[in-house]
Amino acid sequence: MLRDIIKKEILDNITSPKFVFTFLLCTVLILLSVYTGVANYRAEKKEYTAALALNKKNMENQPNYGSLAGIGVKVSKPPQVLGTVVTGIEEAVGRVAPVNIAADPNLIDSKYSSNPVFAVFGALDLMFIVKIVLSLFAILFTYDAIVGEKEKGTLKLALSNEVPRDRLILGKAIGGYISLLLPLLVPLLLSLLFLLIMPDISLSGQDWARLLLIFLMFFLYLSVFFSLGLFVSARTQRSSTSFLVLLFAWVLIVMVIPKAAVVTAGQLRPIPSVHEITAKKDAFLQQIQTEGQKGARDWYTKNQAEAAKDPKAWQDKFKQFLQDYQQELTTKIDENNAALERDYQQKKRAQQDLAINLSRISPASALTFGSMTLARTGVDEFDRFLASVRTYKPIYTKWINSKMGESINFQTGEQNKISLDNMPQHAYEPEWLSRSLVRAIPDFALLIVMIIIFFVGAYVSFLRYDVR
Amino acid sequence: MLEAIELTKRYEDGELALDGLTIKVEPGEIFCMFGANGAGKTTTINLFLGFIPPTSGAALVEGVDVGKDPLQAKRHVSFVSENVMLYGNFTAIQNLDYFSKLAGKRGLSKKDYAEVLGRVGLQPEAFDRRIKNFSKGMRQKLGIAIAVVKDAANVLLDEPTSGLDPQSGREFLEILVQMRDKGKSVFMSTHDIFRAKLIADRIGFMRKGRLVMLKTAKELAHEDLTDLYIQYMEQQPGELTVPPTAPAV
Repeated sequence: MLRDIIKKEILDNITSPKFVFTFLLCTVLILLSVYTGVANYRAEKKEYTAALALNKKNMENQPNYGSLAGIGVKVSKPPQVLGTVVTGIEEAVGRVAPVNIAADPNLIDSKYSSNPVFAVFGALDLMFIVKIVLSLFAILFTYDAIVGEKEKGTLKLALSNEVPRDRLILGKAIGGYISLLLPLLVPLLLSLLFLLIMPDISLSGQDWARLLLIFLMFFLYLSVFFSLGLFVSARTQRSSTSFLVLLFAWVLIVMVIPKAAVVTAGQLRPIPSVHEITAKKDAFLQQIQTEGQKGARDWYTKNQAEAAKDPKAWQDKFKQFLQDYQQELTTKIDENNAALERDYQQKKRAQQDLAINLSRISPASALTFGSMTLARTGVDEFDRFLASVRTYKPIYTKWINSKMGESINFQTGEQNKISLDNMPQHAYEPEWLSRSLVRAIPDFALLIVMIIIFFVGAYVSFLRYDVR
Repeated sequence: MLEAIELTKRYEDGELALDGLTIKVEPGEIFCMFGANGAGKTTTINLFLGFIPPTSGAALVEGVDVGKDPLQAKRHVSFVSENVMLYGNFTAIQNLDYFSKLAGKRGLSKKDYAEVLGRVGLQPEAFDRRIKNFSKGMRQKLGIAIAVVKDAANVLLDEPTSGLDPQSGREFLEILVQMRDKGKSVFMSTHDIFRAKLIADRIGFMRKGRLVMLKTAKELAHEDLTDLYIQYMEQQPGELTVPPTAPAV
């Protein structure tokens, strides 16, 4: 009997105009989003390769280490291949982190900063399609699942037979869910094929596993709305009421809760603005610069007499002093900036965590954060990248300071030509799948819990449903 | 056999929908129940189908107490509702196939379904057509075909002839008569005095949840049902003219 109910449910859905409409729209949107994602990734990859080459050439063209220290190194973040399906914050956050002696590294030059119109419309990635469009389709498939049958009189007719209600709701749920997945599976499989055959897209085994987990998360997310639809449909007496309630719930879940969570977190845990932090850093830098000039003058005054006795020894001593003093001052700046940055980052992280956790009441947020974690396009991945650049900064600073000290010829005033052969390189290891999975587990768990709650709600409601 | 024993239903809002109904519909009998909207006719059917629990009393189907074992009771009941919408995207045969399977009828072929659909008066060219464009009469015929295929000992009909054209109404009644002749107990709630008079073995009038009149077809043979209807509908509750235990014909 269960099989008959499932079969009927599928047949009823796939012969309806809404199925044809959903199938066509899903195919167009999913393929379009993946195509756009692939095109963006290819462009970003090209840009990344060009940026690396340009940076290297620019550095090599510097006349001396002094000017190299002035321009610094630009560390570019490589684009993530899974950004093709989950863009995450890739376009909103900078792709380049300049590293130099003075300033603390930060990510700059985001896609949105170069073309703000992107920020207005956002990315049309697969996650957006699932989060916004397909969740609406899930509602469209279920809002009248129970109450619609009541209105048609078929529920009464079906239950006038020896049909247990639990079997009927189970059959309807399974059949309805299969009907919802059918218009998704074909375009999703086509998308996978598309990713497989595109020459510039190279997915490792780990990437494929991540992709499948992202798809699993998409299905779980849609299941939440599907169960919610069943639940509301089993709690209402008119399909128009059911649709309105679900539409309201959708707006609340997808639009309001995530934004409200950010605003609430901002109110509950305020943080100083970036300008305040920058002003503090600049003030300290100025203080150190003044201190540095005074220190150099004092040293010169104190050791001036020795210069006449043995100029060569004095010159070596001065070189050593400059090198050590520069390093000392840079370390002070770094330590101050790091302390300020640590404090700011801690506060920012606390606010961010609060916002994320509050917003997770919404399955849309769980989907967003979970899939971004799996695609490595989320906040954490950028924090990890920035942390790696900040770890690299003192290493680079030490190297450039030593090079500057070594290369000055005080007699001629000339400096040696630069060589980048032994320049320390920035190292960045993307997060491993196991670690990403551990971080995505709460989002998976939240989605599963919501599915269970809504489905049990639908089940219990249907057992008591007034079919008259 | 359908039997109501002191069947009472009071809804959560306090409304007394059915007040101590006691009737018995014997095998091979058509029982027509009249009453204005809200008189308790549909409540009676809902109680026989186990859709609502009785406040007191019992509804029995083939001796099975619906309140105690609704699934077992439903095995012996076919139901035809007032407005059979069914699944618009399905053909007549697909609808029939689905509901037959729910009724536990397996192994029926397309030919079997076609035979039943023909028997209830549906034109062969309509068998494989999607029913969303069917007229009300065609859908009612399909509804009765579903009841015919189930072949239960008892048939409950909730205002099945409302909105039917004369031809469809007449065909519909013929099927009910065939069912009676096969020994089924038929309980029909209706407003259709003229059609009911043609086939009913017994007729009951309900008012505000109470059975206010119960007569056999023989007793009503020379009476004007319309006058009776108006007379009983205006009567105060409690003024029961005929005991509800009037024998079946």
